[in-house]
Amino acid sequence: MSDAQQHGGGAEGDFDLTQFYQIFFEEAAENLDLMEQMLLSLHLETADDEELNGIFRCAHSVKGGAATFGFTDVAGLTHQMESLLDRLRRHEIQPNLAMVDVLLQSADVSRSLLARHQAGGIGEPPSTEALVQRISELALGEGQSVAPIVAPSAAFESTVQPQLQPVAAEGERTLEIMVGPLKDMAHAEAIRELFRDIPGLGTIKALACDQADMRKFSVVSSTSTDELLDLFEFHVSRSQVAIQDVTKNLTVVQPALAVRADAVEAFRATQALPGTMAQDDPPPGTPLAPSPGFGFFDGAPGAPTNPSAYVPPAVEKVATQVKPVEKSNAPLAQVEAATIRVSISKVDQLINLVGELVITQAMLAQNSRALESGQFQKLMAGLADLDRNTRDLQESVMSIRMIPMSVVFSRFPRMLRDLAFKLGKKVDFVTMGESTELDKGLVEKITDPLTHLVRNSCDHGVEMPEERIRAGKPETGTITLSAAHQGGSIVIEVRDDGRGMSREKILKKARERGLDVSDQMPDAEVWQLIFAPGFSTAEVVTDVSGRGVGMDVVKRNITALNGTVEIDSAEGYGMRVSVRLPLTLAIMDGMSVGVGKEVYMLPLSSVIESFQVKADAINTVGHGAQLVKVRDEYMPVVELERVFQIPRTDRDRPSDIMVVIEAEGSRVALLVDDLLGQQQVVVKNLESNYRKIPNVSGATILGDGKVALILDTGALVRRSRH
Amino acid sequence: MTAMGQTQDQVFANEREYLTFRLDREEFGIDILKVQEIRGYEPPTRIANAPNFIKGVFNLRGTIVPIVDLRLKFDCPKSDYDSSTVVIVLNLSRRIVGIVVDSVSDVLTLPADNFKVAPDIDTIIDRDAVVGLGSLRDRMLILLDIEKLMAGQSMALASDATV
Amino acid sequence: MAFILAVDDSPSMRKMVSFTLTGAGYQVVEAVDGVDAYEKAQMQSFDLVLTDQNMPRLDGLGLTRKLREHPQFKTVPILVLTTESSDLMKQAGRAAGATGWLVKPFDPARLLEVIKKVIK
Repeated sequence: MSDAQQHGGGAEGDFDLTQFYQIFFEEAAENLDLMEQMLLSLHLETADDEELNGIFRCAHSVKGGAATFGFTDVAGLTHQMESLLDRLRRHEIQPNLAMVDVLLQSADVSRSLLARHQAGGIGEPPSTEALVQRISELALGEGQSVAPIVAPSAAFESTVQPQLQPVAAEGERTLEIMVGPLKDMAHAEAIRELFRDIPGLGTIKALACDQADMRKFSVVSSTSTDELLDLFEFHVSRSQVAIQDVTKNLTVVQPALAVRADAVEAFRATQALPGTMAQDDPPPGTPLAPSPGFGFFDGAPGAPTNPSAYVPPAVEKVATQVKPVEKSNAPLAQVEAATIRVSISKVDQLINLVGELVITQAMLAQNSRALESGQFQKLMAGLADLDRNTRDLQESVMSIRMIPMSVVFSRFPRMLRDLAFKLGKKVDFVTMGESTELDKGLVEKITDPLTHLVRNSCDHGVEMPEERIRAGKPETGTITLSAAHQGGSIVIEVRDDGRGMSREKILKKARERGLDVSDQMPDAEVWQLIFAPGFSTAEVVTDVSGRGVGMDVVKRNITALNGTVEIDSAEGYGMRVSVRLPLTLAIMDGMSVGVGKEVYMLPLSSVIESFQVKADAINTVGHGAQLVKVRDEYMPVVELERVFQIPRTDRDRPSDIMVVIEAEGSRVALLVDDLLGQQQVVVKNLESNYRKIPNVSGATILGDGKVALILDTGALVRRSRH
Repeated sequence: MTAMGQTQDQVFANEREYLTFRLDREEFGIDILKVQEIRGYEPPTRIANAPNFIKGVFNLRGTIVPIVDLRLKFDCPKSDYDSSTVVIVLNLSRRIVGIVVDSVSDVLTLPADNFKVAPDIDTIIDRDAVVGLGSLRDRMLILLDIEKLMAGQSMALASDATV
Repeated sequence: MAFILAVDDSPSMRKMVSFTLTGAGYQVVEAVDGVDAYEKAQMQSFDLVLTDQNMPRLDGLGLTRKLREHPQFKTVPILVLTTESSDLMKQAGRAAGATGWLVKPFDPARLLEVIKKVIK
């Protein structure tokens, strides 16, 4: 769905390139992200070739694609970035913070430009003029060596260079451009538009022309001829363009001009990079022979001797037997694991199908239990195999959707850098366990809450440098983000060594808001208070992208993922927030319980224990709340029959089984009739066709095909608190 | 006389295929394209605290689908469940949902000429879901915009309705 | 039926080239960089190698040099796609043993025109 403006080449548009746009957009996004990562981790003092080359290649790749597919604004900006990066990778200038900043900003703007194209090209594009200007300034360098980029052929340079120098402004020259013969004058118009679209390209003016199928322009530009031809190629082929340099020679040279000659040369050189070297421009006054944009080396293998003649293939057919692959001795990096791109919907469909398989297999297993094993030995053995195979298949399939946490972590360095700078704080960002894997669906949903927590640490946790020094801490604070697998969960922690939370302040605020608190509350529960809705104190609230997200929303988001949040803090030392999530949304180990005729499912990970109770072990207190004594603890009782208004058919047999569950740091005992079993179940979404139901987190399909509701342990625990 | 007026009515006035069903004494027609399948009734899993006309959810080949008994919603006299009880599974833009009706009649094509606008019709169903009347021989069909009917607040299917 | 090895680290460019060439009746094998291309070249013969210059691990000229070191690739036509058409680039290309070059950006029509000069 990108805007229809661009098509490649001056060719007659036989080829529809729009089908490749989407691939290019994704590819460019990846390159810009990679470039940003590399820029952030660039060591300014000791930048090595590989790093600089890598960053250069990202810009180069985006430029190439943008140029090919006709996104001239992006091509123009990335071209400038590329020029600066080329100088850097050739060690002509040293990297510094200002360069990193302008490149980061340019990457941002490039992303915006691409996003705009992807959305159909509506609205005003962000301006790139200031950026381009800044890049040029930085490319000139701070008195770094500005020697000519390439050893030119000496004679050529000495005769040509001085004559190219006298220009009206820095590096600019005046060109006369003839375009044609054209079948469609719109192509010539399009060339004029280039000068409008690309800031810094130059100015263009139409001149009178007596040939009907030709157009003549006067262009003032400091862009090299070759680059101009490159850009024109969108609309007209090189053979249709003739460029003549008509810059007037200034015989009076300003003293300042002489001094600036080096700087001018360097500036021109940046304009010329990476397209051509300065010496490619012939002396002024020579009409440029239009170069065809390709060429052959005489006598090279396979080169056509007569370009228009038919050339038989020069390749000798290799013997039909396959030669063994020669292992390369060159010190090349280990071959990367081959990857393929698959659309998400295909993966989701695969997961659904495997989910169905799990259910069907469970049904078979259940139905076969009734069979006498003696008679159907082979069948039973087969079913056992099936069970194993299904589990293996399921694990494999779920792992397809697993991606490393680094995907989530990657956005933070940049964000923190900008935020810390804005707040005037010094923060180091450390990550651990980036390779820990997480289901893709979870990744998307965990990003916002994590972002909030990290911002919070920077905003309210880490103190200003002076305050830290006064407290005897190092000036630079540290925020650590870590991820690790623990049992069937993933634990993600955000830690900072800032000022921590004040127990007294929180209790005070809680009382002000009418929350029921006591001074005897354990720390863990006090910290949880900041998640209470409406609690947001001035110290705690932060705005994530202006949506007014508070800690309570963070909590809610995590709970919606069947996850838990725990906080630990020591005033003066720092704070740690631990988020625990089940490894995957879709499959769960469940325990099924029966109440009346209905079956409910509990996440096994929330179940602590179960036991039988006598009616008199349950004590009623206060407003009908019930407690049960478990060893030394008194625990609230939740009667599922009451929560779900389950119709009772037999009053004789009261519920007498307690299942103790733990969620959000608290435990409650659920009163049920029966423990039915444990099984792995596929979690189904209720909200896609219905809506969110209180106390229910999803649904699953039992072996008999019936639907069972999965209990929301967090909600049940919260219920009992009131 | 072809119907003129609102665009929506015009859309419905074009020749379309309708699935017809009965609720109490009235016969209704809905766009056949919204109908995914017709099934017998199996007791679904009950949902606590839901309105009485939402019978619960059931498993439709791996998807959880709610069942709404229109007979209860619109206070029809009879609403028992037996082997002849029929569920129309609708595939709507926002969801898949099953509705229980008294009986399903047939699928028929209504020529444009048989379509009439019916602003004042008296019917058990929400009047703003009615798009017109279709007449075929001696039958009068109340033509419904089934999407609109099921999306209405009173259906309590939408997630933004308060619990 | 002519086989072409198309090498470019940019997926969108690769797809475009591949699509253009297969549309014109050529068989195309894609490679993501010089190393990948070199391995693929070991598996079968090609009537033409079309390679981007700027790629990670092993760039276009590097690939050209490696290919030319082996008897079976001594004569296969190799075209390097490059954004630079400078003398320096040309010198390097010739020295590495490339058959010719094609300047980016190019349009599909030009690509086919050039290829026709080198393959039947």
